[in-house]
Amino acid sequence: MKYQSHQIAHNFYTASVLLFLVQIIVGIVAALQFIWPDFFILNFNTIRTLHINALVVWLLMGMMGATYYVVTEESETELWSIPLGHLQFWATVIAVTAVVVGYIVMGLNPQTNMEVFGTRLLNEGREYIEAPRWADILIVVSVLLFLFNCIMTVFKTKKFTAVQGVLLGGLTFLALMYLPGMFYTKSMVKDQFWWWWVVHLWVEGSWELIAAALLAFMLHKLLGADVKVLAKWMYIETGLVLFTGILGLGHHYYWIGTPKYWLWVGGIFSSLEPIPLLLMVWDAFRTTRETRGVVQNKIGLYLTVAHAIFNFVGAGLWGVIHTLPQVNQWTHGTQITTAHGHLAFYGAYVLLIVAMMYVTLPSIKGVKDFNQSRGFLSFWWMTISMIFIVITITGAGMVQTYLERLLGLDYVTVKASYNLWFWIFRAIFGVGFLVGVLILVTDILTLGKKSVAVE
Amino acid sequence: MSTNAAKNLFIYGSLLCFVVLVILTVDTMGKLDKRAPEITEQVNAGKKVWHKYDCIGCHTILGNGSYFAPDLTKAVERKPKEYLKKFIMDPRTIKPNSAMPKLGLSEKEADNLIAFLDWMDKVDTNGWPPKPILAGAISGKTASTGQMLFQKNDCSACHQINGIGGTAGPDLTHIGNVRPDVEWHIRHLKDPDTVVPDSAMPSFHHLSDEDLRQIGEYLITLK
Repeated sequence: MKYQSHQIAHNFYTASVLLFLVQIIVGIVAALQFIWPDFFILNFNTIRTLHINALVVWLLMGMMGATYYVVTEESETELWSIPLGHLQFWATVIAVTAVVVGYIVMGLNPQTNMEVFGTRLLNEGREYIEAPRWADILIVVSVLLFLFNCIMTVFKTKKFTAVQGVLLGGLTFLALMYLPGMFYTKSMVKDQFWWWWVVHLWVEGSWELIAAALLAFMLHKLLGADVKVLAKWMYIETGLVLFTGILGLGHHYYWIGTPKYWLWVGGIFSSLEPIPLLLMVWDAFRTTRETRGVVQNKIGLYLTVAHAIFNFVGAGLWGVIHTLPQVNQWTHGTQITTAHGHLAFYGAYVLLIVAMMYVTLPSIKGVKDFNQSRGFLSFWWMTISMIFIVITITGAGMVQTYLERLLGLDYVTVKASYNLWFWIFRAIFGVGFLVGVLILVTDILTLGKKSVAVE
Repeated sequence: MSTNAAKNLFIYGSLLCFVVLVILTVDTMGKLDKRAPEITEQVNAGKKVWHKYDCIGCHTILGNGSYFAPDLTKAVERKPKEYLKKFIMDPRTIKPNSAMPKLGLSEKEADNLIAFLDWMDKVDTNGWPPKPILAGAISGKTASTGQMLFQKNDCSACHQINGIGGTAGPDLTHIGNVRPDVEWHIRHLKDPDTVVPDSAMPSFHHLSDEDLRQIGEYLITLK
C-alpha cells in the first residue's frame, strides 16, 4: 500500500460490493413479486425501496472510495486526516444500517412510521429519497466531512489537477443538489418538481461529472495518455453534459402539472443529451488507439471502455427513444422507463465503479499482477444478463404502452396476463446477474491474495 | 481549442444553463397554484397518508413511482369514491385476487387520501394521461347525434380524431379549439370553398340544416 489513506478507499470498496450483492438479492425478490405479490414477508414497496437505496448508496460509497484514492494519488500525499476518513466511513455504515432497519420495521408495521416534527420517522414515502429527515442530515454531515477532508488534502500540496477539480466540483454539486429534497410541500406538484431537481441533477448532472473525471483518471492510469489532452476532452464532455442535462430536466416536467413551455425546453435539450455520451465513447477508443502501449490491467481497460459504451446505449439511446413529448405522453410511467433505468445505471455507474475498483485495487493491495479471468467472467455474466433483463422489460413496456395506453386495457390485466412471461424471463436473467455479482464480490474481496502469499 | 478555453466554456456555459433553470423555476413556481385547485387541510392530510404508507413504493402518481401498481393521478375519475374507500381499507375483501395487501388505514385516513386523490385528478397535467385511442372510439358512453352523423357520413375516411381515421383532410382532434364556431362549421360543410379557398373537401349541402348543426355542435366539443 503506497499510502495509509488507501485503506479507507479499500473499506469503502468492500462495503460497496457487499451492498451491491444485497441490492441484487432484493432485486430478485422484487422480480418474483411481479409474478407472486405475496412471495415475501415484506411487501413490494419495502423491497423496491431497499433495491434502489442499496444501489444509490453502494454507488456513492464506491465514488467516495474512488475519490479518496484519486485525491491522494493526484496530490501525491496522505489524506489531510486519516482518522477523519475512517470516522466518516464508519459513520456512513452505521447511518445506512439504521436507515435499513427503519425501512424493514416500517415495512412490517406501517403504523410505526409516525409523524415527528412534521416529518416521517422511518420512511419519508418519497421515491428514491425515502430516507427520513434525521438520516438526510446525517448523510449531509457525512458528505461534508468527506468533501472537507478531500479538499484540505488538495490544498496540502496545492496540485490543482483538472481531474481533481471536476471530481470535487461534481461532488460539491451533488451535496448541494441533495438539499432541494429536504423540505415538505403541501402540493404534490411542487413536491415532484423539487424532487426531480435532486434526482435528475444527481444522475444526469453531478454524477456524470464524477464519471467524466474518473474516466479521464482511468484512461491516464491504464494507458499513460497525455493528461493535457485528456483534460481538454473531459472539459468539453462535462460542458456538453451540463449544457444538455441541466435544462434536459424539463423532460420530467411535461405532465406533472407544470406549464406547457417545459415540453419545448425538455424536448429540445434532452434530445441532445446522448451527444456528450457518444463523445466519451469516442474519447475512450481514441485514447486506447493512440497510446498503443502494452496494457497490463486488461480487465480495467475493458470495464472502462464498456462503461463508456453502455453509458451511451443505456443512458443515451434508451433515454432518447422516449424523451420527446409526442412519444413520452404514451410511454410515461410504463416499463419503458424501468428498462431505461436499468441499462442506464448499469452502464453509467455500475460499470464505472467496478472499473475504478479494478483499476485502483492492485495498487491499493500492492500487487503488480493478478488473475484477471474472474473479472472477465463476472463482467460477461452481468452484462449478458443485464442486456436480456433490459430486452424483457423493454418488451413488457412496449406491450403495456400499446395495450394499456393506446387500447385502453386495464393496468392490472396487462400486468398479470399479457406481460407474465416477461416477468418470468426477467427473474431468470436476474439470477444470471446474481451469478456475475457473486463472482465479482469474491474477486474484489480476494484480489491479489494469492500472489501476496507467493511473494 | 485549448484546454483553458474548454475549461472556461465548461464553467461559464454550465453556470449560464443553471441560471436559466433558476429563472424558469421561479416562473413555474408562480404559475403552479393556478394550475391546480386550492389545497385544503384535508387534501394535505391525505398527502401525508400517501407518504406514511409509502404508496409510491408500488404505485405511480403523475406517472412517477414504482410501476408495480396502477397510476393514481386519475384514480377518482372512473371509480366511485365509495368503492375506493372500501378497497383502500381492505383490498382483498373487495377484490379477492388483488395484489394489494391490507395496510391498516383508518377510515379517516382513507377519506383524507381520497380527498388528496380528488385534488390530484383536477391538476392541469397538459392532457396526461391521454385518452386511449381505441377505447375512445368505442367508449361505453352513448354517442351524440352529431357524433353518429359524423360516423354515418364516413367523415373519418379523411379526418382523424384521436389517431383514428384517414389523413387526407386535416386532423380534427382539437378542432373545437381551432374553430369554436358552429356557424363556421355549417358554412364549411355546406360549401367548403367559401370559408377555405381551394378546399379539396366535397360539399355536404345534401344534409338537412338540423343534421349540419348537429355535426357542427359535435365538432366544437373536440378539444
